[in-house]
Amino acid sequence: MKLGGEEVRAIAAEARLSLTDEELAKAVRYIGSFLDMVDRFKELDLKGVEPFCFAEAAECPLREDSPAAFGGMPEILAGRTEGVGSFFKVPRIVEE
Amino acid sequence: MRLYELSARDIASGVRGKKFSATEVFDECLSRAVACDGKLAALITTTVEAGRAAAGRIDGRVSRGEDPGPLAGVPVILKDNMCTHGIRTTAASRVLGDWAPPYSATVWELLSSAGAVLLGKANMDEFAMGNTTSTSAFGPTANPWDVSRVPGGSSGGSAAAVAAGYTPVALGSDTGGSIRQPASYCGIYGLKPTYGLVSRYGLIAYGSSLDQIGPFARTVGDAALAMQILARHDPRDSTSVPGKKIDFTCREGALKKKRVALVREFRGFTLDAPIADAMKRVTRLFEEAGAEVVEVSLPTVARYAVACYYAIAASEAHTNLARYDGVRYGRAAPGAAGLKEMYETVRSEGFGVEVKSRIIAGTCLTEPVRSEEYYVAATRVRTLIAEEFRRAFESADCILQPVTPSLPEKIGEMDEDATKGYESDLYTLPVNMAGLPGFTFWTGRAENFGEKTGLPVGLQLVGPRWSDGELLNVGFALEKILGAPKIASL
Repeated sequence: MKLGGEEVRAIAAEARLSLTDEELAKAVRYIGSFLDMVDRFKELDLKGVEPFCFAEAAECPLREDSPAAFGGMPEILAGRTEGVGSFFKVPRIVEE
Repeated sequence: MRLYELSARDIASGVRGKKFSATEVFDECLSRAVACDGKLAALITTTVEAGRAAAGRIDGRVSRGEDPGPLAGVPVILKDNMCTHGIRTTAASRVLGDWAPPYSATVWELLSSAGAVLLGKANMDEFAMGNTTSTSAFGPTANPWDVSRVPGGSSGGSAAAVAAGYTPVALGSDTGGSIRQPASYCGIYGLKPTYGLVSRYGLIAYGSSLDQIGPFARTVGDAALAMQILARHDPRDSTSVPGKKIDFTCREGALKKKRVALVREFRGFTLDAPIADAMKRVTRLFEEAGAEVVEVSLPTVARYAVACYYAIAASEAHTNLARYDGVRYGRAAPGAAGLKEMYETVRSEGFGVEVKSRIIAGTCLTEPVRSEEYYVAATRVRTLIAEEFRRAFESADCILQPVTPSLPEKIGEMDEDATKGYESDLYTLPVNMAGLPGFTFWTGRAENFGEKTGLPVGLQLVGPRWSDGELLNVGFALEKILGAPKIASL
C-alpha cells in the first residue's frame, strides 16, 4: 500500500506535526517503505493467535490506589512553559 | 596504571580501603573525559560540580569509618533519557529544552545509594530512535576506535564513553538493540536484561513494551556488579516483576555441558568477514571448553521480526511522544494563537526528522482503518516470535549469534534510506520482542579487513527470560579465554 503526500500530511496533522515540503517528501518515502515492510504480515495465518503479552503480567500487581505526597510541586511548576500562581497557562482552547 | 583505567570493582575497593580518594578518581576520570570529548562528543552534559560534591561526600563517609557501598566512588555515566533530579535531561531532543526533572530514575537512585558518582549524561539518538547516535539534536558521537565512524546507537554516547575510559560503567537503554549494538561497535560489554528485571521508572519512554535499561562495562565483572545493584523489584514500574532473585556472582566453569545454539535461518545471511570469523572462532572455543553446540530454528523471527518490531515500536512511540505538548515542560511556543497551533509549533520545531517519521508511521498504523491489519497483526506475530524462542530454549541454554551483520560505517553514510538500515537490526530486535536477555561481548579486533581493520568485533549471547546471571557467567568464562578489551587510545 502506498500513501500520497496529502494523506501523509493529514496523518501528520493528527499527530500535531506540520511538515515542510522537504520533510513531507521524506515522510512519504519513509511511510511507503515502512508499509511495504509491514505488509509482510499478510503472508501469515494469524487466526486464533492471541496478541502478545508477557507471561508474568499477572505477577505485576497494580499499586494500591491511595494518594501519596509528591514533594516536587515547586519544581514541577518551575518546569512549566507558562503559568500564573499554581496554574498552567495555555493559549485559548476554543479557536475562532 | 591511571585511576581512570581501573575497573569499577577496583575503584570501589581502593576507595573503601583508602588507597585513593573518590575525589581523585572523579578528577582523573573527568580529565580523561574532557581530553577526549572534543573528538567524541559522547556527553551532552558533564556534571562537574554535582559529581565532585558527591565524590567529596563519599570521601567524608570513608573518613568517618562508614561504608559508602559496593560502588564507593565509582564514576558513572547515564544515557540522557534517564531522569536525574535537578540535572538537565534531554533525550537528545530540542523538544525538552533545558528541562531538569523533579525526580530521579530508580536506576540512578540505586547506583547513587550504592556509592556511585555521576560524571555526565550521555549523547544518544533522539528519544533513542536510531542506531548511529547521529539523530541527536546535539550532533553525532564518534567511535573511539575510529572517529570517522559511528559508535552505534542509540546508546552510543554511553558506549563510546566507557570504551574511551571516561568511566568504567555507564547505563544505556535498549528497545531494539540500543545497548548491544553500540557495545559491539565500541568493543566493550553490554547487557540488555530480561524485560521486567530492571526498573524503567524515570526512563523517558520510547516503546514501553520493549524498553529496558542495562549496563555497559569493560569487564564482565563490572557488568555483573552493576546488575547486582540494578536487578530488583520497583513498585513504581508496573512491569517490574517481583520475587526474581538472580545470582550475578561470576563463577568459573560455566561452559562445560552448556548447550549453545546457532540459528539455522541466520546461516545464509551475509556477514562482514571478521564477524563470520569470530562466530567460527567462538563456536570452536565453546566446543573445546566442553559445551555442546546445537542448532535451533527461528523461521518466523528471521522473516518477520524486523517488520513486527518497527510496527510495534512506532505505534508505542507515537503514543508515548504525544505528551510533548509545550505545556508542562520543555520547549514553548510563546505567542501561539491557539492550542492546536502551540502543539504543532512545539512538536514540529522540537522533534527531528527520524522521530517525526516514526510518529507519523505509528499514527498511520494505529488509525482505526488500519489498526487491525497492521498494529494488531504485529502483536499477534509477536506472540509467534516469543513462542518460537520458547521452543528453541527447550533444546538450548543460550544462542550464540552476531550483533550486527557489519562493522561500523562512516558517520553520515546511513542517513538517506532509514528503513534500509532497519534490516541490520535483525540480530538484536527479536530479543526485545520476546523480552529476553541479550549480552554483547568483545571478541577481538578485525584483522586484514581494509579500512575497517582494527575495529572491534562483538558477538551476542541470547538466553531465556531470567537467565541474565547465566549469560554473564558464560561471558565471564569467554572473557578469561578471549581477554578483556583495552581502553581506546585517543
